[in-house]
Amino acid sequence: MNTKILIIIPAFNEGHSIRKTLEEIQSSFPEADRLVINDGSSDDTEEEALKSGAFVATLPCNLGIGGAVQTGYQIAYERHYDIAVQVDGDGQHDPSYLKNLIEPVQEGRLDLCIGSRFLDKHFSTYRSTFFRRAGIRFFCHLLGLLTGLYLTDPTSGFRAAGKKIIKIFADYYPVDFPEPEAIKIAKRHEARIGEIPVQMRTRQGGQSSIRYFATFYYMVKVTLAILIDTLKKKK
Amino acid sequence: MQPKTFALCLTAFILIAVIDLIRRQKMSFKYALTWLVLSAGVIFFTIYDAWLRNIAQWAGFALPSNFIFFLLLIFVIFSSLLLTLYINEQNNRTETIAQAIAKLDLRIKQIEEEKKKTTH
Repeated sequence: MNTKILIIIPAFNEGHSIRKTLEEIQSSFPEADRLVINDGSSDDTEEEALKSGAFVATLPCNLGIGGAVQTGYQIAYERHYDIAVQVDGDGQHDPSYLKNLIEPVQEGRLDLCIGSRFLDKHFSTYRSTFFRRAGIRFFCHLLGLLTGLYLTDPTSGFRAAGKKIIKIFADYYPVDFPEPEAIKIAKRHEARIGEIPVQMRTRQGGQSSIRYFATFYYMVKVTLAILIDTLKKKK
Repeated sequence: MQPKTFALCLTAFILIAVIDLIRRQKMSFKYALTWLVLSAGVIFFTIYDAWLRNIAQWAGFALPSNFIFFLLLIFVIFSSLLLTLYINEQNNRTETIAQAIAKLDLRIKQIEEEKKKTTH
């Protein structure tokens, strides 16, 4: 039986880059269905995405990355997909790594596979600010300390999830800056989580959701959310 | 005007305003309940102010006015907490509704697409 794969692409005002991203995904992984979650964009994201033949679900208002991604997982769950893959709509995630990302989940070795920018030292093209790298390291240690799982890139939104995780994330997905917290939630449900090395590109369009003073909120919110998650029931 | 009369008039005004808001369906009973209880409490203690003095003394407050300010502070904190809960509840509902709309939107688009294919 063929594995049903859904690629979830959350997009907010990515009209100028979404079509290229979708075409790249189509050429590197044609067997998967592509689903754009148009997060209440005010530009032509929806039209551009439809032109490339992808499925498009448009949210009536902007829910933020968490709400958009959760919608994707809900659709994946309701339509019985075996694997759901998150890919950013801004072209930062290179679709040529999709096969590598999906493989461990497809083979049943992992429940959640994360594309890491830092796993392979040779992939040095990804540039990030000192503070961002320090923040990422902090979350690596925090998650490692609480779960025993030491990852290199817990903030990466390039990830593939199997059926078990699809159900968990369809039920509950953190609202803002969800990536590290989502790992904690998955780990609480005893999911097998791992990483594969990927190269990421600079953004082709749109704006990062983490800027300036929002960084402070990001650090505090995610840390507290991860700590509070440890108080929740195991399953 | 005596402070007692002033407090009674003000509280009666709030009580009447809240009841009127419920009558005109501008405020549901669930959200009005705290205000109704507060107004009733203030009216009770204004009329029977000896009770207020006794309770203040029992709670260790030197002045009944300090006790009133303390109760007021507790009420404001409590109602803020309650409002945060309500906002959160509304936020969750909005998110669920928005997601349901997005899923319907996808379904409609796919049905229309299939319809187009069958008619051509």
